[in-house]
Amino acid sequence: MKNIRGKIAVVLVSILLGIILAIQFKTVNKTVGEGVLPTQRAQQLAIELKKVQEERDALIKALDEAENKIDQYERGEADNDVYVENLYKDLEKYRLLAGYVDIEGPGIILEIKDPPVDVQYGVEYSIVDDIDLILQTISVLNAAQAEAISINDQRYTAFTEIVRAADHIEVNGVSINSPIVIKAIGDPETLESALSIKRGIVWTFRYYNYDVNLIKDNNIRIPKYRKLVEFVYSKPVEEQAE
Amino acid sequence: MKKMTKANFIILVVFVVFGIVLGVQIKQKVPYFTPVTLNSIETTKYEIDNINKEIEELKLMLKDKEEKIQLYENIARDDKNIIDLLDKELKKTKLIAGFVDVKGPGIIVKMEDNNSEDAFGQSYDLDLIHDADVLRIINDLKEAGAEAISINGQRVLSISEIKCGGPIIRINGKSIGTPIYIKAIGDPKLLSAAINAPNTYGYALKNIDQLIIETEIVDEVIIPGYSANFEFKYAKPIKEGD
Repeated sequence: MKNIRGKIAVVLVSILLGIILAIQFKTVNKTVGEGVLPTQRAQQLAIELKKVQEERDALIKALDEAENKIDQYERGEADNDVYVENLYKDLEKYRLLAGYVDIEGPGIILEIKDPPVDVQYGVEYSIVDDIDLILQTISVLNAAQAEAISINDQRYTAFTEIVRAADHIEVNGVSINSPIVIKAIGDPETLESALSIKRGIVWTFRYYNYDVNLIKDNNIRIPKYRKLVEFVYSKPVEEQAE
Repeated sequence: MKKMTKANFIILVVFVVFGIVLGVQIKQKVPYFTPVTLNSIETTKYEIDNINKEIEELKLMLKDKEEKIQLYENIARDDKNIIDLLDKELKKTKLIAGFVDVKGPGIIVKMEDNNSEDAFGQSYDLDLIHDADVLRIINDLKEAGAEAISINGQRVLSISEIKCGGPIIRINGKSIGTPIYIKAIGDPKLLSAAINAPNTYGYALKNIDQLIIETEIVDEVIIPGYSANFEFKYAKPIKEGD
């Protein structure tokens, strides 16, 4: 008899514990997961975000129109005069390299997704912690003679910095996050083999459990750089010698 | 203690295990719930800030383009100085693209291997300068607003590779050895801080890996233009209205 009583007590305690647990989880879920306060704030921010995004898109459109207009003027003049035409061609060439022109051609697309959660052993890491790997990827692509590179549609220029900011990455001052999509225009075969060589970039990413996807594509579009660069400190050497 | 029967013992074990499971569960769940919302709010805030900055940049650029359109429209009337205008534009684009020697205030960073026999991390090659180290330093300099950067006389552009080639590092298709001299033009204080401030990559290289990293602020750094020839074979500009 004494034994059974003990068992009943244990059963009761267990049931009680179970109920308390369930309540606890429900409460945590409600207050932290989908609580009133964070949702409201998040919604406000989401609206604000949408607003500024629209403003940005409108500006980009206006800028594209202005650039088209300039281009038309320049080309219109170029048709009249051989000298002007050569000037225009030269200008186009350097604008292309400086990154001020939308560009298309064959190349590769490298997509890097963060490691899946279940292999993370409690220590979380993501591409944000491995900025060196992105820098090295770009360097390898350049070594394989890539002509233009973009990271999540941000053109990689001589002024492009790749910086960690809290839990995301900033490229050209624009926030990006996983998945990282690196596009490069150049000889697709060379670019692909440069990345997928044993112990190379793709291998390293996979070694750290990143989900990497490398494909060749015959028509890659890379957008232009949309920042005005004005040198404040640098002066051309020749000009001062004159 | 005389009541410590087998059944009691089993219950004890079960509860201990249950407690551990619970502890683990809560440890996992709580940070999983809270940061998701708080983090996403934080991220959205960042993103809004960044887009606002982007909008500022776009406005600057748009203003520049509009001024240019104004100039072209003025020219369209008398058709006189289109050549001057294009010539000026070409010079500026060449300067920005990095094909002109420039000079200005900045810093010189010297990076050298640790050649002492009992250098730190020798068995892992931590006593040597690697391409990844140079990439990080360059990235930090760009973040600090460097306008022009060269490594041992080679201008760093968007198409410049910085790649290990055994005992040397290759940049712009040329081989360079240590010591590596990185020159950068920009705000000397900011540039110097990007290398020397605690928590930067340069600081870690110097104080943890014990490489020789020396920075020198110079009133006038001369950085040569990109000298190698380039021709885009694969990349074509996207033109609207063609």
